[in-house]
Amino acid sequence: MISRRATLAMAILATLLCLAPFASAQQTARAKALGLRVKCMCGGCNDAAGACYHSGGEFSGPCEAALGMLKEIDQRVARNESDDEILKAFVKEYGPTVLMEPPKSGFDLTAWIMPVAVPLIAFIAVWEVVRRWRRRAALLPPAPDVPADLLARVHHEAGRDES
Amino acid sequence: MPLIGSFALLLALALAAYSFIAGAMGLSRKDDRLVETARRAGIASWAAVTIAGVALVMAALGNDFSVSYIMHHSNRDLPIAYKFAALWSGQEGSLLFWAWLLSTYALVLRLRYKVDAMLFNYASVIIAAVQVFFFLLVNFAANPFGLVSGTIPADGNGLNPLLQYPEMVIHPPMLYLGYVGVTVPFAFALGALIMKYPGEKWIHITRRWTMVAWLFLTCGIFLGAHWAYEVLGWGGYWGWDPVENASLLPWLTMTAFLHSVMMQEKRGMMKMWNMWLIFTTFLLAIFGTFLTRSGVVSSVHAFAQSSIGTWFVWFLAIAFATCVFFFVRNRETLRSEHRLESLVSRESSFLFNNLVLLVSCFAVLWGTLFPVLSEAVTGSKVTVGPPFFNRVNVPIGIFLVLLTGVGPLLAWRKTSLDALQRNFAWPLAGGVLAGIVAFAFGFRQFYPLMCLILSVFVALTIFSEFYRGARVIAARENINLLSAIGELTMRNTRRYGGYVIHFGIVLIFIGITGSAFNKDAQAELSVGQSLKVGPYTLLCQNFDSTANDNYQSARATLEVFRNGKSEMMLYPERRFFPASGETETIVAIRTSPLRDLYVVYAGRSPQDGNPVIHAYLNPLVKWIWFGGIVVILGTGLALMPNRRTALVLSTVPEKSWGGAVPASAPTTGGVARGANADD
Repeated sequence: MISRRATLAMAILATLLCLAPFASAQQTARAKALGLRVKCMCGGCNDAAGACYHSGGEFSGPCEAALGMLKEIDQRVARNESDDEILKAFVKEYGPTVLMEPPKSGFDLTAWIMPVAVPLIAFIAVWEVVRRWRRRAALLPPAPDVPADLLARVHHEAGRDES
Repeated sequence: MPLIGSFALLLALALAAYSFIAGAMGLSRKDDRLVETARRAGIASWAAVTIAGVALVMAALGNDFSVSYIMHHSNRDLPIAYKFAALWSGQEGSLLFWAWLLSTYALVLRLRYKVDAMLFNYASVIIAAVQVFFFLLVNFAANPFGLVSGTIPADGNGLNPLLQYPEMVIHPPMLYLGYVGVTVPFAFALGALIMKYPGEKWIHITRRWTMVAWLFLTCGIFLGAHWAYEVLGWGGYWGWDPVENASLLPWLTMTAFLHSVMMQEKRGMMKMWNMWLIFTTFLLAIFGTFLTRSGVVSSVHAFAQSSIGTWFVWFLAIAFATCVFFFVRNRETLRSEHRLESLVSRESSFLFNNLVLLVSCFAVLWGTLFPVLSEAVTGSKVTVGPPFFNRVNVPIGIFLVLLTGVGPLLAWRKTSLDALQRNFAWPLAGGVLAGIVAFAFGFRQFYPLMCLILSVFVALTIFSEFYRGARVIAARENINLLSAIGELTMRNTRRYGGYVIHFGIVLIFIGITGSAFNKDAQAELSVGQSLKVGPYTLLCQNFDSTANDNYQSARATLEVFRNGKSEMMLYPERRFFPASGETETIVAIRTSPLRDLYVVYAGRSPQDGNPVIHAYLNPLVKWIWFGGIVVILGTGLALMPNRRTALVLSTVPEKSWGGAVPASAPTTGGVARGANADD
């Protein structure tokens, strides 16, 4: 048992050691989540800093710019700054384009309002259509019941077997 | 070759222009002979553009680097399959390929004109107008036969390495077949509107065309996603890139059309709506090309960009104005009496299905274009990345899954409470039970849990539909359940093919749910060092390199351990292509139904030159690809003709007439059809 624990501890230590060069960035889950909320500002990709991979480039991993940003996130997280404070600091430095989502203020708020407002309006419109169509149906006399076998034969002979 | 190609393109333009002008004049003057010459000119335009296409392929195969396009998209050492693919690897070739596909669709339409000569002639003229636009483009804005200035280079720049992948050879043609295919139902719809075509026959004629276009677009989208997953090396399959979104937009509206068109066929309702759905689908297909080609929004498909966006804007404006003009002029012919007996009916489920699909289409379009809009209004650009699209589209997607299960089981006109209980009680119980089990196993995130519950519910509704129908047939015809399922399906391929497609969609949604549990780890690894991701430990064994005429390869050899036991070797690779100076990642994937272990050799760290390995653990991704195959098979099934149903022959209990007919002589007693065959 002891030897298994020791082996596990050594394996964890070895993993941590081999991760060391990249462990300098994104040390916490919060830092990692924040890394996905800011865009890599190298100008050569559209990826989040935490997911920068530069397809087709010499190195398919975080570029210098992304690494710098991730490191800054780590430092700010270590200083106990809140998520909002960290994101605001990035916006101050790079402008709103640094955020992977549009800001929820000013005109950019419409980016968030529209995907909620349009479905709501569309839902109300469809509901109104349904109501109107039902009212129209109610005004008409009910259709006489047609025996099922007769209906089946009519469909068959009309060649309308498809659904 | 370039001379022949250029001449053929000019000829194709002249023929298409004649087909359009003479056809339009002939139809307005009711001059059948003029219309016939227009039809034949249209057929000849296919021959001309085919010659141009063959000329470009021959130039690529013959390494004719005097042609600028070939110089930029091919090189001597490029394998032959990729030289052929050079036809659609760049802007000019893509547009020529597009024009050729459009002309091929038009050829089939023009040859089959006897189905309904007048309607087909109208459609032919409308397609000729679209042909004219694409021929103008390839002649004057993006000519694939442009020559290089100065000395002819000894070798070309080669094909973008990201495109040197088998799936990439078929992904663009599939997507184009889908995009271009939309033109056919659009042409029929507009033609029917212009000529005030009575009835719904145009819908019956175009159903298969629309489904074929939808099938190709679906294949194209899936191949693109699979290519992105296997080649780009970022561990994902859908990045909400503007060009990916561009292919999704017409897919969503076409899916809505394929559903709502049933309302028109069965109940004569939603004629105007369907007309605009197909118009919108066509405009979005052209808009998708505009997004890909113009670079108006930045995209990973940057290799395809240029300045021909203005042409597309004008074409879109003219096409839209034409649709509006004829709609306003002839909308009276589209009037229909809409009635709805009950909210709980197939009709209302189609309305909500259309609502959800179009809302999703709007959300994707809005997110794609918002950076441009925001910049125009505020002066500063914002980013609309995957987090936005996920947040907005996930709830819509979940609602869509719900409708996928509920809609098909509701009856036309009105569904009784009994039928509701019979159809939904067990599937709902199954879904909730699956949710409880998943919750107990730590599946706690709201959306993934909802998606799982609904997916199980929908899958069970589909199975129960097959089971109930097959049980009736099995009992009636004394065959086993499996044969009865086959019989049931073949009697109503459209309906049961639709169920298969829905089942495929469920599998895809289950696969997408897996992304909520993705993990990844990245580290610099020297030989003997290891990296842990999820239950796997990757031990670095070796790095080696090889080379051939086309590329130089650097490869890592990794041994994968699970719970201390060696499971397999993985060989992630990087290929450097000297002709283009670019690098491609060849991802090593250990795939299983439960999860993919996805390993990328990221290259050597720019900081210290050590090799870097990035490993991802992506649960359930295989379900997405399998779901895609099921969707494609289901569409193929829905395209098959129904097996004609036989009349049930029942024995006559009465005595025969004077012995002329034996007592057991059969008479028609009813129609043997699948249970609920006509829905």
